Amino acid sequence: MEDQQWLITQLEELLKKSHDYKQKALLQATINLIIEQEERKEQLQGELDGRLWNPGNWGS
Amino acid sequence: MKTLVIISHPNINESSSQQFLIQSFPQSEKITMHHLEGTYPDGQIDVKREQALLKEYDRILFQFPFYWYSSPPLLKHWFDEVLEEHFAFGYRGNKLHGKEFGLILVVGVGEKEYQTGGQEGFSISELTKPYQAIAKKIGMQYLKPLTIFQFPYMKEAQKMQLLIKYQQWVMMEKPDSLKAREVWIVNQLEETSHDTLDADESSFILDQAIEIIEDNRIELDELRMHIDNNDQ
Repeated sequence: MEDQQWLITQLEELLKKSHDYKQKALLQATINLIIEQEERKEQLQGELDGRLWNPGNWGS
Repeated sequence: MKTLVIISHPNINESSSQQFLIQSFPQSEKITMHHLEGTYPDGQIDVKREQALLKEYDRILFQFPFYWYSSPPLLKHWFDEVLEEHFAFGYRGNKLHGKEFGLILVVGVGEKEYQTGGQEGFSISELTKPYQAIAKKIGMQYLKPLTIFQFPYMKEAQKMQLLIKYQQWVMMEKPDSLKAREVWIVNQLEETSHDTLDADESSFILDQAIEIIEDNRIELDELRMHIDNNDQ
C-alpha cells in the first residue's frame, strides 16, 4: 500500500512534467487504474472475510 | 479485430467535441476513421465502395451528435442507401452477419435527464431502439454505446478520462472489464515515448507502475480463487 502511494506520487510528478497531452491522460489513467485495483482488492477481501465468518460454513 | 469508425457531422471543424475525439483517435493500422460528410460533400454516397469497406472490418462504430434523438441527415441517408436488400438483409443478404455494431454518441443534455422523470423522459437505451433494430435485422451484435454528455462543461480531468475511455472503446473488445483495461494500460505504458517526459527516472517509474498493476492482478485473481473455493 505504501509502495502504491509512493508510486502514485511519482506518477503525478511525471504527469506534470510530460509535454504531451495524450501521455498526461495515460499517466492519469494509470493512477486511476491502480486506485481502482486497490478498491477492488478491498471489496474482494471484504467478501472473503464475510464468507469465512458465515456460521453456515463453520461446520464444513 | 479491425474497427471502422464512421463519423457523421455536418460541421466537424466547428465541433469542439468531435475535434477532441479526432485528436484522441488512436494510431493503429487496425482502426480506420471515415468521415461521411468529408468523403461525400455533395451527399452522393458511393454505395459499392461503402459496402466493400464494411466487408473489410469486424466492428463498425458510428460516431455522431445525437440530433433530435437521431443522427445527422447524411448518416440516415447512408443507412438507407448502403444497407440494402441482398447485401445486409433478405435473400443472400448476410454480408454483415456476426460483425459488431456500436454507437459513440455526443449528447448536449446532461445524463440525469435521460430517464423517466428527467427533462428528456426516456433513456438512451430507449431512444436508440431504431439502431438496435437495424443491428438485429442485419445480424450484427449491438454493443454497449459510449455516450458523451455535455462535453463543453467537462473539466480538464474529465476530458483526460474521456480521451482514454474513447481510445479504449475504439481499440478494445471489452472496454468495461478491469482485467482488459489493465492489459491495455500496460501496453500503452510500454509504448509511450520517453522523449516527452522530462525526467531521468521516468523509465524506472513506468516500470514500477507496470509491476504494481501486474502484482495487483495476481492478488485479485488469488482473492477471487479463495472466494470461489469457499463457495464449494
